[in-house]
Amino acid sequence: MIEVDRLSKRFDGVTAVAELSFSVAAGEVFGLLGPNGAGKTTTLRILSTLLRADSGRASVAGHDVSTQGEAVRRSIGVVNGGMGLYDRLTGREILHYFGRIYDLPKPHIERRIGELDALLGLGDALSKRAGTFSTGMKQKVVIARAVLHDPPVIFFDEVTSGLDVMARRAVLDVVRAYPSEARAVVYSTHVMSEVEELCDRAAVLYRGRLVAEGSIAALIEQGGESNLERSFFRLVERSGLDPKEGPAVRA
Amino acid sequence: MRPRMIGRVASKDILSTLRDTRAIVSNLLIPLILLPVIMLGLPFLLGGLFMREATTVTPLGALGLEHAPPELIALVEAQAATLESVADPEAAVREDLYPAAISIPEGLTEALAAGEPVTLAVYRKTGNMRSELNAGKLESAVAGYRQQIVSERLERAGIDPEVLEPLRVVARDASTEAERTSGQLSWLIPFFIAIWTLTGGQMAAIDATAGEKERGTLEVLLVAPVRRAEVVVGKFLATVLFGLWAAVMAILGFVLGGFILRRLFLPTLDAAAAEMIGVMGGQLAVTPLMVLLLVVSAVLLSALISAVLIGVAMFARSFKEAQTYVAPLSFLLILPAIGLQFRDLLGVDDALYWIPMLNAMVLMDDVVRGAATGTGVLITWASLSVAIVALLIFAYRNFRRESVLFRT
Repeated sequence: MIEVDRLSKRFDGVTAVAELSFSVAAGEVFGLLGPNGAGKTTTLRILSTLLRADSGRASVAGHDVSTQGEAVRRSIGVVNGGMGLYDRLTGREILHYFGRIYDLPKPHIERRIGELDALLGLGDALSKRAGTFSTGMKQKVVIARAVLHDPPVIFFDEVTSGLDVMARRAVLDVVRAYPSEARAVVYSTHVMSEVEELCDRAAVLYRGRLVAEGSIAALIEQGGESNLERSFFRLVERSGLDPKEGPAVRA
Repeated sequence: MRPRMIGRVASKDILSTLRDTRAIVSNLLIPLILLPVIMLGLPFLLGGLFMREATTVTPLGALGLEHAPPELIALVEAQAATLESVADPEAAVREDLYPAAISIPEGLTEALAAGEPVTLAVYRKTGNMRSELNAGKLESAVAGYRQQIVSERLERAGIDPEVLEPLRVVARDASTEAERTSGQLSWLIPFFIAIWTLTGGQMAAIDATAGEKERGTLEVLLVAPVRRAEVVVGKFLATVLFGLWAAVMAILGFVLGGFILRRLFLPTLDAAAAEMIGVMGGQLAVTPLMVLLLVVSAVLLSALISAVLIGVAMFARSFKEAQTYVAPLSFLLILPAIGLQFRDLLGVDDALYWIPMLNAMVLMDDVVRGAATGTGVLITWASLSVAIVALLIFAYRNFRRESVLFRT
């Protein structure tokens, strides 16, 4: 579903992503694991066509991100921690707006809203304006917006930041349930436990570089520690990149 | 570009701004209320104040009141003023004890009888309208008294007073009715349209650009299958709509004010008050052609300002920062509007019609004065259209620049 081949991106001479390669298959939840400034968000922005890579290639759902941007954007859903909702619109109006942007017919949008209400429990969020939403309600509408058009690929970027335990659990359940034979998820986070719980495979990023890639069990084994968090630090140390240095660049 | 996508982006921005109560009240309702108030209130207030001061009997200071001949006192009283004795007329005026004062020298009557010239001093505060008005009453009274003396002397000498006026000058007003009646409104109208177009559009423009960046909604929109050119044009159209709405409200307020003034108030006023209101532009008759030319010019000016707003506000990281960027634009509009007051002195040639923004204001000034020409209209509209397209391209490029989109 996703092919990334030696992708690089620099901002003002500072490397954000360097020679990054990985692939994600249908049915997978793929983790992008790394601290702030590791290049996770920059990678997802390149894959969602917001940024142009300086070099390398990437494709999403069979579409090249640099030459087939519109087809890529039609094939993806993006959920980020920043929420990004229109405060003066109701949940239903927001979903209708994006449904129309995705060229979905109005009856189809209404049917999908019904399905997502049943799945996510949107409830009052559909009739209230987003400015009045609780954080949990916001996150539900954001997820509904991202999956409204049933995209084959969905990107989650630091989606549990600031969520309470209940809202966080609801989000993780959606992520876990989303992949199928025709769908894949890329889950970007710095929370190791979420990667261990959700992801089939993960790429460990540090200062814009790929430190390790593989199944969660393989990553723990590569690190030679008892859990992913300890192994992460071990893998970073072995990479030769100084962990005491700050982030390369924050997206 | 797909019109349906442009429409969807614009519709969302319009709906979102319509639900912003502050934007509706401050940018759309106030022009409808403010213009009639200014149009009715300013002429009436100033006209009323002048009339009150001119007709109210005002005590004025006089040094040497005991030397004043009865004829002069009668003439002063005919000017709606009375004289009261003061020891120091200059201090009396300076300290606001009297708005104006006169100094009458001892032996005035005797000197005049002997045919000797006499000097009377009139004291006033320059720049103080009330003082100037009342000093004018004293000068008129003195001029009337001088005329009486001259006439008496000529009569005694057996000379026809007509010999003093070998030439006469008659003023004939060559201006059109619109020029005569537009008064101060000829520059106030373009000024208000420009200002309300800016204030009406800026809330929508900033909210749709820097506001969306700040809230993270722009990023969400740009990962959807909508093209950036469609986003730019959609947001531009929403901004134009709100700028226009405010401008149309301002024009409606102007038309409403003119209607009320002409139909309800003017017939009840005396000639002097009506003339005073006319100086302020209160008798301007608005024709359908004027409204059409003003509306089209306002549309183009609104589009130009909207394109600037969208392009500039996009640079900002936040709503507040965008307001800082946009604030200087009002100076760009105020300065030409001030210049319009002095256009007779500055001189306006066809070259001005090529300068976007300025040309729209000059043209609107022309329209209100009834002096618009076909050439001026065509050049202005063509120049504005080219500038709008160029600015939209600038805004589109900003929407494509990563350093602008993700400037944090």
